[in-house]
Amino acid sequence: MQEPRTSAKRMSQTQAAWLLLAPFLITYGLFLVYPFFRGFWISLHDWNLLAVAFNPDAKEFVGFRNYERVMWGRNIEWGFASPFWQGLGVLGLAASAYLRRVDRLSRFNAIALAVASLLLVVLPGFHPGEDGRWYDRRFWPTVGNTLLFVGLAVPGVTISALLLAAALNKETKAMGALRTLFFLSQVLSVTVVTLIWQIMFSPRQGLIANITETFGGTPINWLTDEQFAMAAIVIATVWWSLGIAMILFLAGLQDISKDIYEAAALDNARGAKAFWYVTLPNLQRTITLVVVLQIILHFQVFGQSHLMTQGGPNDTTQVLVRYIYQTGFRDSELGRASAMAVFLFVIMGTFSVIQFIVGREKK
Amino acid sequence: MNRSYYWLVICLSIPAFLWLVPTIWMVSLSFQPNDVLARTTSTTAFGLVPIPFTADNYAALFAFGQTPWWFLNSLIVSVGMTLGVLAVSTTAGYALARLDFPGKTPITIICLIGLMVPEQAVFIPLYTMFADFGWHNSYHALILPRMAVPIGVFLMMQFFRAIPKDIEEAARLDGVGWLRIFWYVMLPLARPAMMTLAILTFLYAWNDYLWPLVSAQQREYFTITLGLASIQSNFAQSEGLGRVMASGVIASLPVVILFLIFQRYVVQAMTVGGSKG
Repeated sequence: MQEPRTSAKRMSQTQAAWLLLAPFLITYGLFLVYPFFRGFWISLHDWNLLAVAFNPDAKEFVGFRNYERVMWGRNIEWGFASPFWQGLGVLGLAASAYLRRVDRLSRFNAIALAVASLLLVVLPGFHPGEDGRWYDRRFWPTVGNTLLFVGLAVPGVTISALLLAAALNKETKAMGALRTLFFLSQVLSVTVVTLIWQIMFSPRQGLIANITETFGGTPINWLTDEQFAMAAIVIATVWWSLGIAMILFLAGLQDISKDIYEAAALDNARGAKAFWYVTLPNLQRTITLVVVLQIILHFQVFGQSHLMTQGGPNDTTQVLVRYIYQTGFRDSELGRASAMAVFLFVIMGTFSVIQFIVGREKK
Repeated sequence: MNRSYYWLVICLSIPAFLWLVPTIWMVSLSFQPNDVLARTTSTTAFGLVPIPFTADNYAALFAFGQTPWWFLNSLIVSVGMTLGVLAVSTTAGYALARLDFPGKTPITIICLIGLMVPEQAVFIPLYTMFADFGWHNSYHALILPRMAVPIGVFLMMQFFRAIPKDIEEAARLDGVGWLRIFWYVMLPLARPAMMTLAILTFLYAWNDYLWPLVSAQQREYFTITLGLASIQSNFAQSEGLGRVMASGVIASLPVVILFLIFQRYVVQAMTVGGSKG
């Protein structure tokens, strides 16, 4: 081709690269990298949203005081303060060692279980001693609620998605249609999901109450009963977010060769037996990946708690992101809210790194 | 296909139907008169069949109230964000995947580290920044933060890396410049990946709740997701249950239609998006 040379042609590879990168790098720097560091900087200040809005000098540098005010207290001691959780941690440590020895867990999963168990032994041990108290009485219970939510939603989603995927793992029209039905709720927004379930759970108008009454039962006041509120938002969440997990499992199942199942069938391993002895071991990496993804996803829970229960009753469904939002935008304490946001980032960042490692291992 | 297969399909249809019940219920309630709903929500088949039937809720929604306006806001924000993310992600993804330049590896790593930062960790500083600029309650305030999330760059980079080198080299031998290769050779090839990214972004934009909640405080700038949340809390008294449910249906319509038409891409997008959705 003999065309006159244009300036674009004379542009070197380096120039072209920077030109193409510039739009992204500018937005990335301005709206992600800079805010990230600025968030840390805000967390080192006594920073009132309204006061600083009127007078930019109204903030005061306090170092790590906000972190102390959020996470620590007066006369904090360590001991076996909550035998249940700490005992569970000890059991978890033993289980990880045992399961690793009988080779039912990969090394990676064994380490993960051991670390989680160790944290369970150590963290609940902190408690205020005599005359002591937490500076922020709501922070750790909020973290606890978030963990409880994750602890219920993740197994709920994972187990039901795994069973469904195993059952739906056939390339036929009927199975495709069923998959579509199970996936559909996944595309709805959090406000639609909470709208639906708020009314589903309503003791006066709700579908669940209507059915209970028809069979002569007394309707439960799901969203305002301390015993059921967390269960209610977990149910709504499982309904909402089963789809992705199911699809990831289906993808993982495609990678298991048919020969293994045929060999297993010769050994009389069919149905549930084949699922336990063939599917599960071969799917271990996918399961780990799905669990880590779900932990990251559900640790950020906000809408379900904010819209369905408003964190109540009696703070039983108060979760971390909602507490950050309230501390920042209702109480105007941006410094403390930012300290909590940094805490959130550290936890989520850890899981992102785990996700990255697992994802790499998979390839 | 043997008998056990048909049994399996029948057995699975029951949970699948139960899974659909909440959605059916929302649609059914939206077609029932408000004065009936105020008395009971289970007139016919626990309210799952809209008898008595009315379309008044939808008519009322479009006659007054802000739902159509919020719907329009959501469209503007979602389309704007999708185009913006596509533009910055395809260019940066191409540069990082196919061009050689000093500083490429550090830049790639810096971009990937950004994947670890969740929206919830930066929404407070973003809020103060946008407040300093006086940008809140505007479309660009709702659009810009998402353009900085590197998931799109990551996606496009992976796609461009998989394209064989010789396609590019042939064009280079003909003396075509890098930008033209990007525009005329690479972009047409990248259509499927761009489609996935576009759907991922659109779904995210349409359904996003936290950032619009802090940034858009004036009702004129509410997205439909945010607007629906704002009428949820006092649904029974002011608006009537049927009308709120109709808003819910309207708010879901675009994403459900998108899902039914582009199911393969949507599933792919949501799987890739995963945690970073």
